[in-house]
Amino acid sequence: METKEEFLAELSRCVVEMEDDSIAAVAEAYAAHGYDPLEGITAGLVDGMNRAALLYEQEEYFVPELLICSSAMYNALEVLRPLLPQEEKNSKSRIVIGVVKGDTHDIGKNLVKIMLESAGYEMIDLGRDVACEAFVAAAREQQAAVVALSTLMSTSMINMERVIAALQEAGIRDQVKVIVGGAPVSPSFAEKIGADGYSANAVEAVKLVDRLLAE
Amino acid sequence: MRQLTAIERLAAAAHGREADRCPCICPGGMMNMVVAEIMERCGVSWPEAHSDARQMAALTYELNRAGGFENYGVPFCMTVEAEALGATVDMGDRQTEPHVTVPAAYSAAELEQLRPFSLAAGRIPVVLEAIRLLKARRTPVPVIANITGPLSVAGTLVEMTQLLMELRKQPQSCHRLLAKVTEALISYGRAMLEAGADAICIAEPSGTGEILGRRLFHDYSLPYLNRLLDALSAPVTIVHICGRLHSVYAELASLHCDVFSCDACVSLEEIKPYLAGRALMGNVNTHALGCMSADKVGQLTRAALQRGADIVAPACGLPLTTPLANIQRMVAATAGGGRS
Repeated sequence: METKEEFLAELSRCVVEMEDDSIAAVAEAYAAHGYDPLEGITAGLVDGMNRAALLYEQEEYFVPELLICSSAMYNALEVLRPLLPQEEKNSKSRIVIGVVKGDTHDIGKNLVKIMLESAGYEMIDLGRDVACEAFVAAAREQQAAVVALSTLMSTSMINMERVIAALQEAGIRDQVKVIVGGAPVSPSFAEKIGADGYSANAVEAVKLVDRLLAE
Repeated sequence: MRQLTAIERLAAAAHGREADRCPCICPGGMMNMVVAEIMERCGVSWPEAHSDARQMAALTYELNRAGGFENYGVPFCMTVEAEALGATVDMGDRQTEPHVTVPAAYSAAELEQLRPFSLAAGRIPVVLEAIRLLKARRTPVPVIANITGPLSVAGTLVEMTQLLMELRKQPQSCHRLLAKVTEALISYGRAMLEAGADAICIAEPSGTGEILGRRLFHDYSLPYLNRLLDALSAPVTIVHICGRLHSVYAELASLHCDVFSCDACVSLEEIKPYLAGRALMGNVNTHALGCMSADKVGQLTRAALQRGADIVAPACGLPLTTPLANIQRMVAATAGGGRS
């Protein structure tokens, strides 16, 4: 590999073909040639992640594959991100994400985080089993544009409603878009609790956030 | 024909024998059946009931007695197995289920991090005692003992995200972990049957085609479910798998259970041809049960019957806020046999 195009194609291939062990060396060689780190991320890693997302939508890939692709992406990001000039590190809007109180299933949340991160959003991940107040505090302190709530358990769904009420009470409900998702969550539930949007999967979540923030 | 008892009816429906009518059940376990109204009625509530056999038995007994589902079911969570094997569990509160907060190991390769399984560990004695207490009531109501499926237990012993990646990258470690978990579940299931359980329901929320895809479902979910099913000589075995299933329809044909239960997003008509010889259970929308009118619930129940449910059940766990009146309507509509 010599040309920038060859390197970008290889970075993309390493992501889509789940080569999370060998990708860091490719990213280092790319950087050693003096090629643009931002382009390495956007035209290499994100390109690979987009191809992985397409395979996921086509049901060629499932969750395990998508997770390993993202692990490859993160391994290369660790090499390239520190090389970015400061102004390019500023990403699109900030998004606070977490699994609501009472639930620790976080695969869905992790996938949404990965896809939003590869789409350029800055993710504040509060983890799982997160108290309502923690979402409110993070949204306020981080000046988040979006609060993304996930749960896999029907018994925890009520806590999504509570987060929205807490944002209201804190007087910042109109400053953030609230999106919800997870197996038991439906568009009608989202509407009922006053969320701004619902997404059935991680790829759709990116489209949803893009659309909500363009409004 | 003569009116069957609820135990006879469930067994008949599960084995394709003639029954007086279709049963309406909610197994418990992952498929939560407990609602706030029932806690108030019998003065027993979560989280205490998860660790006390008398309270556990009292809650499910009361739900049935109040005109709710035609079964008893214990426990009310899917953390008993993982806790016994070494995971740390937060018992939740009045409104939230127990959930695993700290996995037992970082990787499937760290089998030695697991606690050796014992029937005396954690809340296993509580569940077994609750089954005995329910049987001691000598009612004709089936006791359903709930087991969390091998892959779902493995996904709480090792962080699920990590485990999913290791399914592809470290297949041998994952098979060793799943074999060990399955062995523990077999001994748990056998103890449940000895305690008197009339049916075993295995819920495999994480081992679904939607997450794994066909190949990994075939390699990791199916064989361990079957190993567990084959080892349990239960009067009735039920398997519930969450999520969309079209990617694994063909694999489901080789599942060794009597009854297969699926989520609301699955079409009963579509899946039925793949499950020849098995009874189909499902799949009344739990969101509707939780917050729509009793009339709507009645309508959805009749729709499930018309679409081919041999046993009517919620499609997933019930939200705690589900009105008892909606459960009663679901049972009544099932008894009415799909007539509007």
